[in-house]
Amino acid sequence: MAGTDDVTYTGGDSYAGARETTEGTVYTVTGQDWDSVVQGVAASDEERVVVNMGPQHPSTHGVLRLILELDGETVTETRVGVGYLHTGIEKNLEYRSWTQGVTFVTRMDYLSPFFNETAYCLAVEKLLGITEQVPERATVIRVMLMELNRISSHLVALATGGMELGALTAMIFGFRERELVLDVFELVTGLRMNHAYVRPGGVAQDLPPGAVDKIAETVTQLRRNFKDTADLLEGNGIFMARTEGIGYLDLAGCMALGITGPVLRSTGLPWDLRKTQPYCGYETYEFDVVTQTTCDSYGRFLIRLREMGESLKIVEQCLDRLQPGPVMVEDKKIAWPAQLAIGSDGMGNSLDHIRHIMGESMEALIHHFKLVTEGFHVPAGQVYQAVESPRGELGVHVVSDGGTRPYRVHFRDPSFTNLQATAAMCEGGQVADVIAAVASIDPVMGGVDR
Amino acid sequence: MTARRDLGERLCGLLGASARVEELDGEVTVDVPLEAWLAALVAARDVLGLTFFDWLSATDELDLGFGVVCHLVDPRTADRLLVRTAVPRDRPELPSATGVYRGADWHERETTDLFGVVFAGHPRPGPLVLPQGFAGHPLRKEFVLEARTARPWPGSVEPGRTTGRPLPRPLGVPPEAGP
Repeated sequence: MAGTDDVTYTGGDSYAGARETTEGTVYTVTGQDWDSVVQGVAASDEERVVVNMGPQHPSTHGVLRLILELDGETVTETRVGVGYLHTGIEKNLEYRSWTQGVTFVTRMDYLSPFFNETAYCLAVEKLLGITEQVPERATVIRVMLMELNRISSHLVALATGGMELGALTAMIFGFRERELVLDVFELVTGLRMNHAYVRPGGVAQDLPPGAVDKIAETVTQLRRNFKDTADLLEGNGIFMARTEGIGYLDLAGCMALGITGPVLRSTGLPWDLRKTQPYCGYETYEFDVVTQTTCDSYGRFLIRLREMGESLKIVEQCLDRLQPGPVMVEDKKIAWPAQLAIGSDGMGNSLDHIRHIMGESMEALIHHFKLVTEGFHVPAGQVYQAVESPRGELGVHVVSDGGTRPYRVHFRDPSFTNLQATAAMCEGGQVADVIAAVASIDPVMGGVDR
Repeated sequence: MTARRDLGERLCGLLGASARVEELDGEVTVDVPLEAWLAALVAARDVLGLTFFDWLSATDELDLGFGVVCHLVDPRTADRLLVRTAVPRDRPELPSATGVYRGADWHERETTDLFGVVFAGHPRPGPLVLPQGFAGHPLRKEFVLEARTARPWPGSVEPGRTTGRPLPRPLGVPPEAGP
């Protein structure tokens, strides 16, 4: 805000206040001091106000920074600042073995860990040429966990999105349901997030006893509970007033910016990689691709709601398909040797496996030692593998030079690409609509910055 | 011949003899010379119908420079193609693709941050994922990840106490790196 000379701040907060800079007067707004800011701006002859939202604003989905130029209540320009969560995971992967990479990639988009792991492992398996050898049971478990993960991720999107619009009940419902899904994850992998459960060649361990019953029970309960959220928000006048026609982005805009996921499907294009470029046998499952034609936040909300129902259908089909069998490839030169078990102190090597390598088989000990210290070699080459994550196309481009470590791994994260649409969705709208628009993109900053 | 391979051959045909197709593990990549980079993207978009810009990134190819690669998709058929060009290490610069695909914007800025490859004519250049003034380009191979060797492990039981043994080095960190 430029041009104000005579504004002094008289509020009680010593951290807040106004100071002069070369760009004009800068106000630090900390809450409950709005009046003094309004007075200051009213006295100024400058129409343009620049508002810095974030990076620690509760409505920006993590450490996202939005710089909004306002003319009154209208947003005239939006700039997006990212990078606050840059963790260098892509670089770190180059210094770890192929299997250790899973531990890193699961932490990128922390709301959809199973998608990160599966995309990475599918790419590594393609380079190894063992895609066909991955046991059926491992693939079914992967699909089942990914679909449960889609539900838990969409629930966070609905919960935080609802909360940002003031619908606190939506948040309570969303997190309540998500807890049920996380209980399943904890039962299966030992962890609520950052599982590192999907490994090149299969999964880390088989489903524990009772998991199938627990999942079936959870599916029934979720289906019942989803009705609460649907009854609360679908067609709700207040909710629709905040989301209908907000965050508009049409098909042409999506194509030019590379937007995928619910944002793209809200334009009516049934683009879902599970159908268009099937992986993990998705072509054999029965489910529908949900689309809307409204191109707005409300349409994206409806898509997420319906997709959760479709995911439940897939999980049920997975439960029917689960047949006893191995969950890791046969090849002992690739299969991670650890047979994990959950003990009283968490997940670790099972005692049976330790007895086997230490007392029974010299060969098993050698494989264990080689794989754990050095890892397996992956033939030189490059592949691109994409999966449909809750936010859109999550792709991984893996380059190998034939060594035991990745030469280069690039993640095409949907949050990163979709966030580019922020300006197109927000400019020309009101300040309050920025929140609804960003919430409908559902960015996860861990995935954006990597 | 797969549809994808056919797409690659057609793009090569449009660009002349300087481009070539590579197929490995079912992945079709078209290598184009640096001066044909934008022409290749325009041809892919307008003639081949690859209107969906997916992503752009790079690989450090050491003496061969940087391999800048971008992934394009035909939204009608779901056919896809990797288009790649080599940028010399001593002068890592290529024209920005933002005029062809608007979505290339952030991908190019990220690549500039992490590899130091400059995209000439980018409308809003500047750091995206790295802090202002960060020295070096982390994804270049000469940028060695030595954080673990330079800093004591923060999770030891007794902070500040050393065992007297050198810290184990992460895989790939050369012995001369670090303190």
